[in-house]
Amino acid sequence: MNADGRARYAGFAFVGPFLLLYLVILIYPLLLGIGLSFDHADLFGARRWAGIDNYVRLLADPVFLRSIVNTIKLALLIVPPLTLIALLLALALNRATRAAAIFRGIFFSSSVLSVTIVTLIWRFILTPDAGLLAYGATALGLAPAPFLSDPSLVIPAVAITTIWWSLGFPTMLFLAGLQQINPDIYEAAALDRAGKWTTFRRITLPSLRRTLLLVVMLQTAAQLQLFGQVQLLTGGGPGGASRTMVLFIYEAAFGRWELGYASAAAELLFVLVLAITLLQYWLVTRREPER
Amino acid sequence: MSVGPQRDRLGVPALIGVTIGAAIMVTPLIWTLLLSFKSNAELMRSSAAAFSGPYTLENYHAILVGSQIGRWLLNSLIVSLGTTAGVLILSSLAGYGFARLDFPFRRTLFVLVLLGLAIPEQAVILPRHQFFAVLHLHNSYPGLILPGLVAPFAVFFMTQYFRAIPVELDEAAMLDGASRLTLFWKVLLPLTLPAQATLGVFTFLGSWNDYWWPLISATTSDRFTLTVGLASAQMNYAQTSGLGFLMAQAVFASIPILIVYIVFQKQIVRAMAGAAMR
Amino acid sequence: MRRLILAIAGALLLGSCAPRDTRVEIVVQRFFGECGAVYGHSTDVAAADTECGILTTLINRFQAENPDIRVKVNVVAWPGYPQLSAQIAAGDPPDLVTMHQSTISDYQGRGLLEPMDGLLAEAGIQPAQFTDAARAGVVKAGRIYGMPWDTIGRLWHINTRLMAQAGLMDGDRPILPHSPAELLAQARQFRARTGKPYLIQAQVNAPDYHVANLYTWLIAQNAVIFPDARHVRLNTPEAREIVTLFRTLNAEGLTTRNQDFPAATASFTNGDGGIFPTGTWMIGPYDKEATTPGHPLYRAYVVRPFPRLWGHEAAFVDGHAWVVPGAERSPAERRAIARLLHFLAAHEFEWTRTGQLPSFRAVLAMPRFRALPHRADIAQMAATGAQLPDYVQRQSAIQGLIGEELEAAVTGAKPVDRALADAERRVDELLAQIM
Repeated sequence: MNADGRARYAGFAFVGPFLLLYLVILIYPLLLGIGLSFDHADLFGARRWAGIDNYVRLLADPVFLRSIVNTIKLALLIVPPLTLIALLLALALNRATRAAAIFRGIFFSSSVLSVTIVTLIWRFILTPDAGLLAYGATALGLAPAPFLSDPSLVIPAVAITTIWWSLGFPTMLFLAGLQQINPDIYEAAALDRAGKWTTFRRITLPSLRRTLLLVVMLQTAAQLQLFGQVQLLTGGGPGGASRTMVLFIYEAAFGRWELGYASAAAELLFVLVLAITLLQYWLVTRREPER
Repeated sequence: MSVGPQRDRLGVPALIGVTIGAAIMVTPLIWTLLLSFKSNAELMRSSAAAFSGPYTLENYHAILVGSQIGRWLLNSLIVSLGTTAGVLILSSLAGYGFARLDFPFRRTLFVLVLLGLAIPEQAVILPRHQFFAVLHLHNSYPGLILPGLVAPFAVFFMTQYFRAIPVELDEAAMLDGASRLTLFWKVLLPLTLPAQATLGVFTFLGSWNDYWWPLISATTSDRFTLTVGLASAQMNYAQTSGLGFLMAQAVFASIPILIVYIVFQKQIVRAMAGAAMR
Repeated sequence: MRRLILAIAGALLLGSCAPRDTRVEIVVQRFFGECGAVYGHSTDVAAADTECGILTTLINRFQAENPDIRVKVNVVAWPGYPQLSAQIAAGDPPDLVTMHQSTISDYQGRGLLEPMDGLLAEAGIQPAQFTDAARAGVVKAGRIYGMPWDTIGRLWHINTRLMAQAGLMDGDRPILPHSPAELLAQARQFRARTGKPYLIQAQVNAPDYHVANLYTWLIAQNAVIFPDARHVRLNTPEAREIVTLFRTLNAEGLTTRNQDFPAATASFTNGDGGIFPTGTWMIGPYDKEATTPGHPLYRAYVVRPFPRLWGHEAAFVDGHAWVVPGAERSPAERRAIARLLHFLAAHEFEWTRTGQLPSFRAVLAMPRFRALPHRADIAQMAATGAQLPDYVQRQSAIQGLIGEELEAAVTGAKPVDRALADAERRVDELLAQIM
């Protein structure tokens, strides 16, 4: 092979190790899972061909359908506020002062906790009997709100917990994005006596476009897969009002040992996440000029 | 490091907003800390006991003197460090390959890697468990580390970072006769150190806090990681009769991570810069 | 000369080899928590407290008395079933593991547990030594699949001081209702005179609570809940009556609402209500409260089995058992397991200090057991305690499904008959899927 040929395939040497592991440890089990979704299977190896039975049953299962609604509701309640707050924080904290650094640290600190710890903490904030919010409410003379047992309050409660937990990472991404903007542009704008709002709308926001897309796509994908908070904080309740798709999958697999059914639900979730993130990508980038 | 357009002083409304936000962020953590310094017996009667009264170190004592905590900490360290090292190496190599080299199916493969971000863990965890059982990989460090090495975001991140480095550097090095490998190892990789730091911290974090895979793969207690071990130490109805101990565990398990974050804070923000470009 | 040196070198080499641990090793897996901090290697069982403490010291003592066996203890988070399933699937299960009696049929039905008739015989344990409730819990398809370790019952924990204030005490015995109408009347009277709810209930995130109530009073009326392995009957007049009663209690504010288990437990400790229906496992902690001066429950605590509201006396029980997952084992290992079983059976009294009921008749009859606080009041449950038929699988998952629907019915979120019908449908679907 001549030098050119070698150069052409040198790339494989670099991406090869990762790709190999990726295929073996992620894609192969994924394919196994897809295969499982067309079987009746239990946790210990019993298997029987089921065709599309699992999928048909899923689409007629009111519990599953409700979990789809809950999942989307949660994503809608979490992603926009999270993105907005992270952006505002990044704008406010994008300076080199010591105070800003401390604040940045504070807003990131919740992200380092694991989900088991976060739900433990928030249970004792939200519970009407012994929670921090309940003490606050009684101090103000109000009745404590039953966040975890009222069907209309439980999803906002989970959303707030999740936003509290997830602020760090998007804020960081926005901070980095802001720091990429050439300061000369701002100087020029200041010279032209552009107001703060105009500067923001015409310069900052468009420059952040890519970062914004990244944050929204990543967060949407992540929140559509929300699991730990509902498993540990609400158990999917009350009455299934906070059951997400991943919790449904977990209960079917580990609780009822219906491996095939759970796999089919997982495939449907995968398709949903893929479709939504691709849609977001397409919506934003189709208007970009070709580079 | 470029700074934004804001004047040096934050406007008053913004300052108030940020301070309130910070207070909201920190309050739950302080609440947890307070609860961890109360005895279980007192908390069983009312969690409001956390606001006052005698504080105690008994819960932390129970954790430290507990039988296998040292072992679990060691396991977590080995697994998390191993995963971090592995991810950094693999994703740097792959990132460079995707960013700089042209090879057949490059775009397709890159998209394939990105698809990984959409795959829920629950979809692969059970087939992977069966697969690893056949390979006798359970209850071992490789069994815990290997799944963590599959990090699509890491590859994406490093690819973006490499792309941001001007191609002129490559050309200059090649003109000097450097081979591709030398170029990668001696010239470009050092430039990515901030990115490595960030990615390292996030990978370490993810690995440290991972629960489900270690739960079903490392099933003998001397192979537990810290998160699994702490969960196993909880008695039935721990939230009733062992609240203080539970909260102390929460604090204890978070300390290593907080330390790592504080130490690497600067690198993290600097590195995010490189990746968010383009 | 050379030969001598070689011989000496050889002897030194052989002698310097570290002695291998040739003891037989068995792996014991359990939940109940980790308390090495407090108990370490202590073998003083009588001084130990709590489930974790008593079991830890028991196993330590066995280890000390049987130095030729090495016991490796694996503590897992409750209930430990995802891990156990994973271990079995990976072909590496523990030798002895704690399992709820209601879960045995899941693993036994798939052939994953070893029948223990032989092991128990080797340990010198006869099935006739078990109480009726315990034996029913471990016998499946005619064979024994576990050594019952205790019986977990549900009781009414009663705050006698508040009951007295409500006029519901007869001397030192609480007055309990004998029919649903009486229950409502007494509850209203309680609320009127004390201003507090009659019942404290853990209704949030606690499917087991509502289901235990439903099962108990269905069993009391000899209602058939699971006619066969694939069906459940819930949308029946009896079930509707039971659920409606609890719905009424909620609607009229005669019970606490929005409480999860930790909240309800604390509530009773603080004297916020009259009666807390929960399990035998709370006897220990509450008795401690009752003997601590200054606390709301001081000298104001008794327990009673569920009152007879319909049909006859009944109690829905579960229990813990020690089971042996199927695997290849050497005769030495089996003997070791048998010896541990024998030891545990011999010391079951100590375990009952936790509040759970004994599974051995001999312990039930022991004066020492009867003398433990409140036990005499509830000992009958070991006889009247009933479980679901042994062919019912996935009892825990079923409990979750039914519990979710009952929660909706009792809080008024769903009409009672629709909730019961939905529960029936979901459980039937689950049972139909079992392979």
